Parts: sequence; structure tokens; C-alpha cells
Amino acid sequence: MSDITRRCLLASLLTTYTASLIPWALAQPVDDRDQGAFLAVSAIIAGRQSLDTDQAKRLYDALVAIDKSFPTKTRELLAVINTRNIDPLELQKILDRERSSLAGVPRIIASAWFLGIVGSGASARCIAYERALNAIIVSDVLKPPTYAYGVYGSWTAKPI
Amino acid sequence: MPDVAAADFIVVGSGIIGSTVARRLVQSGASVIILEAGPRVTRAEIVARYRNSTRRSDWMSPYPPAPWAPHPIYQPVSNNYLLQSGPYPYEAEYIRQVGGTTWHWAAQAWRNVPNDFKIKSLYGVGVDWPFGYDELEPFYQEVEELMGVSGAPNTGSPRTKPFPMEPVAEPFAMRRIRERIASDYEVVTNTTARNSRTYDGRPACCGNNSCQPICPIDAQYHGGLAAHAAETAGAKLIPDANVYRLDHDEQGRISAALYYDPNKSSHRVTGKVFIIAANGIESPRLLLLSASDKFPRGLANSNDMVGRNLMDHPSTSLTFDADEDLWLGRGPQSPSSIGAMRDGPFRAEHAPYRLDFTNISRVDSATNALIAQGVYGDEFARRLRHSAARELNVKNVLEVLPDPINRITLSDQKDAMGIPKPETHYSIADYTRRGHERSQQDFRRIAELMGGSNLRFSKEGSYANNQHICGTLSMGNDPNSSVCDQWGRAHEHDNLYLAGTGVLPTCGTCNSTENGLAVALRTTHRILAEHKVGRMPASSRLG
Repeated sequence: MSDITRRCLLASLLTTYTASLIPWALAQPVDDRDQGAFLAVSAIIAGRQSLDTDQAKRLYDALVAIDKSFPTKTRELLAVINTRNIDPLELQKILDRERSSLAGVPRIIASAWFLGIVGSGASARCIAYERALNAIIVSDVLKPPTYAYGVYGSWTAKPI
Repeated sequence: MPDVAAADFIVVGSGIIGSTVARRLVQSGASVIILEAGPRVTRAEIVARYRNSTRRSDWMSPYPPAPWAPHPIYQPVSNNYLLQSGPYPYEAEYIRQVGGTTWHWAAQAWRNVPNDFKIKSLYGVGVDWPFGYDELEPFYQEVEELMGVSGAPNTGSPRTKPFPMEPVAEPFAMRRIRERIASDYEVVTNTTARNSRTYDGRPACCGNNSCQPICPIDAQYHGGLAAHAAETAGAKLIPDANVYRLDHDEQGRISAALYYDPNKSSHRVTGKVFIIAANGIESPRLLLLSASDKFPRGLANSNDMVGRNLMDHPSTSLTFDADEDLWLGRGPQSPSSIGAMRDGPFRAEHAPYRLDFTNISRVDSATNALIAQGVYGDEFARRLRHSAARELNVKNVLEVLPDPINRITLSDQKDAMGIPKPETHYSIADYTRRGHERSQQDFRRIAELMGGSNLRFSKEGSYANNQHICGTLSMGNDPNSSVCDQWGRAHEHDNLYLAGTGVLPTCGTCNSTENGLAVALRTTHRILAEHKVGRMPASSRLG
């Protein structure tokens, strides 16, 4: 099957509720349903108005390399969110309480996007640094450590 | 085993102290060989490792040890290099590579305060140094001019000449702290080997906020620069040379240093005078490893004092949210502190301390906290920005008194080269605990003055280590209770000198590097006065 015929729109994987959480993503083409589920859950967890699709692919590939069952878990997680209309802020609590088999998945995805790091311990990998979302979220005020803030003394000014 | 190299002076360790000693010796016209256990590593490599690290808050992560020259690693799992046998873990961190551990220091270049040199006489605790502040003052100045130190005059350490540079520009967050707590505390700009202007060919700070683990632009001085300066001056530096033994002659004079290369081939280096500057753990380890029939307890150790009186600076801390946006992470990491509790009659009762404000970005730590709490969606960005803007942290830097029970010994276990690993026995004394307890009222008051909320004290009974390894080779006038004399010369070996923070008799409340460097330069002047050596080319020949 060619890539073209396999591609679908993210909207086809979402319910009205989950689509309302990430309206920007509805027309986003994705390679297949697994990656689509990853992008949808990523968007819900990250709470961003857009996500870099190249970065999404790199994170997804790295996560699958660590855990072959990651796509299945991610699809299940999306199904739970779709079915239950779960508020992102309630997601972790609900999974901890009711779906322990999926409870680790949001943190894995959150670490990937917010820190740029996948995996844990000795097998962890850094996929992003400057483009990790936690750097992007504060980029109007701070530079990632090791990057110059500005000319000497520029840090004496009120930040915002 | 053939000799492969010889020189007037053999320096073991290429860290900031060993390299600076070597530089001064070679500048006198003598020949000098520096033996460094670890490899050469460039600044660019370290920066790249940091940016690609999966543990950015672990400042050792850009410094993986070479298999032939291990150093302690604790994350993601311990490499069990430094064995623990005491009631409190002493998780020392240091780096075995050319340039040593100051590759990842915060460039805090403090002098002691004058009373730090006589706490036994004044307060009845610890020991007095064999000399006083005034005698060390010219060497402090020499060190500061060599490194390029910036600082403010109001830190309690008198000086006869001005700092080489003006204080580094104060970050906005530190200004607000200084202004808001001025009713109760004087906040001072830290004394740092960080450039506030171009100095010695290196640029002024541009606020990269990664002083630890690596300044990407060399705006702060470090051992890599010291090693380069020593080599430029003419010292011969041999990397990947893990010294595992010192040999001596019938008179007890040191005759050779034996080292393994990465293939565990042994090499022998001879010299007239030996200076051991391998840090407060590796230096005593080497002396203990060099036991012989004549010196069965190890070199310089007939009195069993090598490795004892281990000291560091434990810290406890308070994190809280201020009532205004301050945004830590703009400018250098450790810019300001409070020195009011560094000295006073209370030292008879409890540990003195500095209070240190961090300016390390809170972004990664806040991210980890939010992920741990399961905060997702729009709320994540809002809360991350709130924490990054509002979180403050103040810590104490507590004095530890010398106690022979705290020590470095040799383990029964061996490292990858078959050399016994170092082992530590460490404890936190009541004197230090009482200092911690006293500092809690300062923590609370500072938080109150900053409109603080969400106060998070560090876990009771848990002390973060500051990696200022002191003692273990203490200098003193009494040969029964010290390892070396006031000049750093081992009591039992005429041509063996010890340099580094290990020789410091007490640790005070400030980072140990400048003290260790100033004492080492005092030692160097003495060595040059005592050992009139003709220049012997630092030679190297095939064995």
C-alpha cells in the first residue's frame, strides 16, 4: 500500500469532544492511524495550538523503538479520551484510578514533548533541546541554558 | 620497567591547582611534567554533551569517566567507584580529565574571612591554621589576577589591592531580592572568576546560564584554561597517565611516579620534586596506594592521618514562590549571597554559613514537577510560566569541622585498572546540624520579605553536597596530627609536596578552590626557594 493511500486526516480519529480540544489539528494529514493517534494524544497533552510534525515523527519513532507496544497503548488511550470526554487536567487521575495499564503513557508523551527526552534511565535518549516545548513556552523571556542571553548586562532589565 | 620521562618537577593532576603550580614552576626556568589520569576533552564536546543530555540537572552527565580513569558517577545508576562505609553518604563528584573538576564549577572564587584561620583560638572548635589571613592575602591577590576575578568589596575579606574586575552585572531577580530584604539582610554580589569585561583574551559573560556544568564561552576561568596555560609556558602534560604508585629511595625521598596508560602498560617518571595535586580524594588514595616495606601505612602516613578530617559543605534549602515575577535563569547562575552568618561568637555553638541565592533557570525542574503531577493541556504552559517566573531558592552553605573519623581509605574493591577504589566514611555532626537549624529562621524571614508562598523546605535530615572536598591531607605544625607542614611538604618526605583543597585545615563557609589555589601558590614560592634546580629538559624517550 502506498503512503498516499494510507494517509488520513487526524479529524477522522477524533470525536467531537476531542476535536474541540485541538481544532487546529483537524486537517492535519498523518501517515497512518497509529501516528495519528500519537499526534492527537500529543496535542491534547501538550495543549498547544500547533505541533511540529517533523518533531512528532522523530519522537514517535524513538518511542516505538523503545516500546513496540507504544502504538497500541496510544490508540487505547485516545479511545478512552474519546469515549469518556476526559479533561486533560483529569486524565492522569482517571488513568491512575481506573486504567493503570495506560497510566504511564501520558507521562511518556509529556516527557517527549516538554523535555525532548524519551525513555528512562540508561536507555533514555535526548531528541530535542532548544525545540523541546518547555523551552518554547518561555522563549519570550528565557534562552535555553548554554545559549547566550544577550550582550553583557542585558539581564539587569525587567524581563517583561 | 624503563623510565620514560624525567623532569625537575613532577606534578600529579592537571586540575586548576596542579596546572597553576606547574605553570609557576616552569616559569621559573625549571622543567615540569604534569601527569593526568584522564583524557583531553574540548569545551565544544562538553557543550554538545550537555545539550544532548537526558539528565540536564545532573552536572556530571557531560563528563562520563574514561574507563582507565574512573570517577564517581551516581546517575542513572551508581558506578560504585567511591564506596560508602559511614553513617551518612558522601557522594563526592569530581572529574578526571585534563583540567579537572573546575570545568563545571560555578566560578565562586571566595577568600576566607580572617577569623576562619583561628577558630580554635577564638571559638574553641576545630583547629587553627598554621598561618593567618594576612600571610595568605598576597597569594589570594595573585590567584585573582591570574584567574580574572570580579567582586564587590563588602564581603568581609579585606584586601590590599582592588579586584581585577568590577562585580558582574546584577540580574534583575537578584536586584529585587536585594531591595526587598534590605531591612534585614545585606545581599552581596558574589566573588567569582567570571568576566565582567574582556580579560586575558576571554570575553565578558553573556548570560548563558550554564556556568555549571559548562560555560560555553570561557567567560569564567577553569582548569582547562589553567592546563593550557601551563603547557603554553613549557610544561609537558601527559594525559591518560593514571598514577598508581609513588616510589621512594632509602631516605624516604620520592624517586618516581608510576602510571598506567589506557592499555595498562606501566610507565615510570622520575624527578627531583613531586607535587601531588590530584584532589582531596585521589591524592590521599595515591599516598595510601604507595605503601611499602618502609612505609607500610602508605606515604606520609606513619601517624595514620592521611585521608582523615574529610570536610565539605552540606546544604539545606528552601524553595518558595515570590509574589512577583522574577524569572531566574537570566545571567550567571550564582550571582548573590548573604555573608552575615559567616562569622561571629555563635561559632562556639553552631556552624556558620553563607546564604546563597540561585539564579538557575527553573524551567526544567518545574517541567519535571508538572509532569510528575500529571498536569496536561493548556494548564501546563500557564503553570510552567508561573513557576519559572516566581520560584526562588535559597540555601545555606554550612561549615563542617575537621574530625578524624571522617575519612578516605582504600576499599577492598578494585577499579577497572585493578587499583583499589577509594572508600569514604562520613557523618554530619551536631555542630553542623545546629547551623542548619539556625538557618531555618533566615529562610522563613527571607520568604516572608519576598511575599513567599508554597514554602518547600528540603527534606529534614537530608543535606545536599557542594563538592568542595577539603581536609584529607591537612597541613599543620604538629607532625602527629597533620599530614604536611604549613608549606605543604609531607612531614616524612623531603621532596614530596601536597597541593589542593585537601591540605586546608578547615573549610569555612566558602567554596574551597580559591583557598586551595592561594595556599598552593604559597607552597610553590617555598618550593622554588628551597629547591634550586637547574633546568633539566622535560624528556621523554621510548622505553
